[in-house]
Amino acid sequence: MKRSAPARSAPRAGHGRPERMAFNASPLLAVKLPAWRSRLLLFALFCGFIALLGRALYLQGGVNTEFLQRQGEARYARTLDIPATRGRVTDRNGVVLASSVPAKAVWAIPEDVEITPEQTRELARLLDLPAPELKRRLTAEDKSFVYLRRQVDAEVADKIAAMKLPGVHDSREFKRHYPEGPTSAHVIGFTNVEDRGQEGIELAHERELAGRAGSRRVIKDRLGRVVDDAWLREPLDGRDLSLSIDSRVQHIAYSALRAAVEKHSAKAGAAVVVDVRTGEILALANWPTYDPNQRARFAPELTRNRVLTDTFEPGSTLKPFAVAASLDAGRIRPDTRIQTAPGRMTIGDRTIGDAHPHGILSVAEVVAKSSNVGTAKIALDLPAQTLWDAYTQVGFGQAPQLGFPGAVAGRLRPARTWRPIEQATISYGHGISVSLIQLARAYTVFARDGDMVPLSLVKSHEPALGVQVLKPETARAMRKMLEMATSPEGTAPQARVPGYRVAGKTGTALKLRNGHYVKEYIASFVGFAPVSDPRVVVAVMIDEPRAGGYYGGVVAAPVFGQVVAGTMRTLQIDPDAPLAPVKGPPLIAMGSAR
Amino acid sequence: MSRGAWGLLAFVAGALLFASALSLVSAQHRARSLFVDLERAQAEARNRDVEWNRLRIELARAAQPAYVEQAARQLGLRPVDTARTVPAVLPAPELAAPAAAGGAQ
Repeated sequence: MKRSAPARSAPRAGHGRPERMAFNASPLLAVKLPAWRSRLLLFALFCGFIALLGRALYLQGGVNTEFLQRQGEARYARTLDIPATRGRVTDRNGVVLASSVPAKAVWAIPEDVEITPEQTRELARLLDLPAPELKRRLTAEDKSFVYLRRQVDAEVADKIAAMKLPGVHDSREFKRHYPEGPTSAHVIGFTNVEDRGQEGIELAHERELAGRAGSRRVIKDRLGRVVDDAWLREPLDGRDLSLSIDSRVQHIAYSALRAAVEKHSAKAGAAVVVDVRTGEILALANWPTYDPNQRARFAPELTRNRVLTDTFEPGSTLKPFAVAASLDAGRIRPDTRIQTAPGRMTIGDRTIGDAHPHGILSVAEVVAKSSNVGTAKIALDLPAQTLWDAYTQVGFGQAPQLGFPGAVAGRLRPARTWRPIEQATISYGHGISVSLIQLARAYTVFARDGDMVPLSLVKSHEPALGVQVLKPETARAMRKMLEMATSPEGTAPQARVPGYRVAGKTGTALKLRNGHYVKEYIASFVGFAPVSDPRVVVAVMIDEPRAGGYYGGVVAAPVFGQVVAGTMRTLQIDPDAPLAPVKGPPLIAMGSAR
Repeated sequence: MSRGAWGLLAFVAGALLFASALSLVSAQHRARSLFVDLERAQAEARNRDVEWNRLRIELARAAQPAYVEQAARQLGLRPVDTARTVPAVLPAPELAAPAAAGGAQ
């Protein structure tokens, strides 16, 4: 072949071009090379290929794959965190009371920051920070990391990211929203910036609500898109929690309480509404309160849930329990007559008295007119242990099983340490301390037929099982007596609600300070409605009313009335008393639906 | 078999191997682009979920009783109270039917 080439190329060279020697016509080419040289070259190339093949096999399946695998992964594989969303808290009807949405924490590395004065102003506006404060943070020399603001809404964070400021970064977090704000703040509590529960339900149910973050190992391509999963550990989102609270009833209780505290210039107030049939807490309101969305303004004075964590000497609201214990033991009957004249009684070296002397009263009247002397006589007729048992059975002296942080037990000393004077004062609510929730729960024993159910802040799906404490006929008799207390002759006519029969008991107690009674009062009212078939127990406590009276019947009973009226309407409970005639459009029919 | 037949077989097998290698590459590519689409759809779903959550909060905030009451008062409305409630007692048969239906719920 080599020989023929010059022959073919020769005529072409002749076409108008200057004669030139074909390159392969070089005389050097004619030199015969020794055959071993090409063999050697071939062999060298062969060895080179063998080496490459060996290397390839070695890298693919040889000893050192682990290192290479790691190097490859380091370039393409990433582990991503998948945050778990904290569960929602809703009321019993599904209204959202607390919910988390993604937010951003905006932070900076001060030494990397390059920012113009206009950008500083813009950033300060977006972050809602004073510009000098922002500047101070951005120029902090001694810090390599500084949070500019946490819990920034996603849209705002996007705007900041769009400014593309060097040294300013953001990272993902969650922000908790409480749409109802201060109304139910004490029940729900709040979380910290890390979305962990700090108070209330948020703390009590932290474990269910929090969930567990997951993670996944992914392969990313050149463009940063996720193209494959290596493995996945599923995140476990927090469970949603339905409370027993009805946000409508909560609002009714909250606004009635707030109005009363303001009207009477009181220091504080608390109210609780309990569903008699299930033991669910429908509303739990406190005043003063705070807005859980405004984390900066939390003060212990405002965040304390007085219904559960404050105990007080309840005063007369405790009287029905001594009377019920005596009725249950068969010592008295509702019509047993008791001499309360002259309105005072000396036990040992102490004298107790009534606000107004009454003379001879029936047991029912002792309750309705709230006679200390009458109640003390009934209580002293019982063994101390029987009385102690009665109080313990309705839950005094024990922390309520609510699973709520800070719920207190109150104080009920053992019966063997009672002196007679103490037995007398305890019967009308002094020398014993209780929380409002304990009082409310204790009254369910009268509202139900003598049995008690545990209270619950979480919506329950099965009927509550009661424990019999009193005979049903005792509970019925007590209902009748407590209804009398709200009659015009009783201590709390202001608790009455048009259209419904209500029953309850007032309390006006002096406050104890450093072991001495001072002239400051706690006005309370605990009752239930409708009497014909009780559905709710409502307990109200107003701390240190200073204007417009201080008696429970004047201060707390009207709140009870408003709360019951609103609750009956909201829960659409049939009236059980005739309504007063209404002036207005002509009526088709009037009267009770029953 | 003759040498020619062996050669043909080797060629066919080689061609099949090549085709299979190509289809592997394209299948892998399709799998990855589908995965990218899936990721995008899932991110979209997450965003929608967040949005839904946000809207539920908005709804709860707009519908909270305190806010509704305030708005109603500005319109000159007053809360219902039992003193101004007129119960209408229906004749017995008409009452029985809705009561039974209500009880069944």
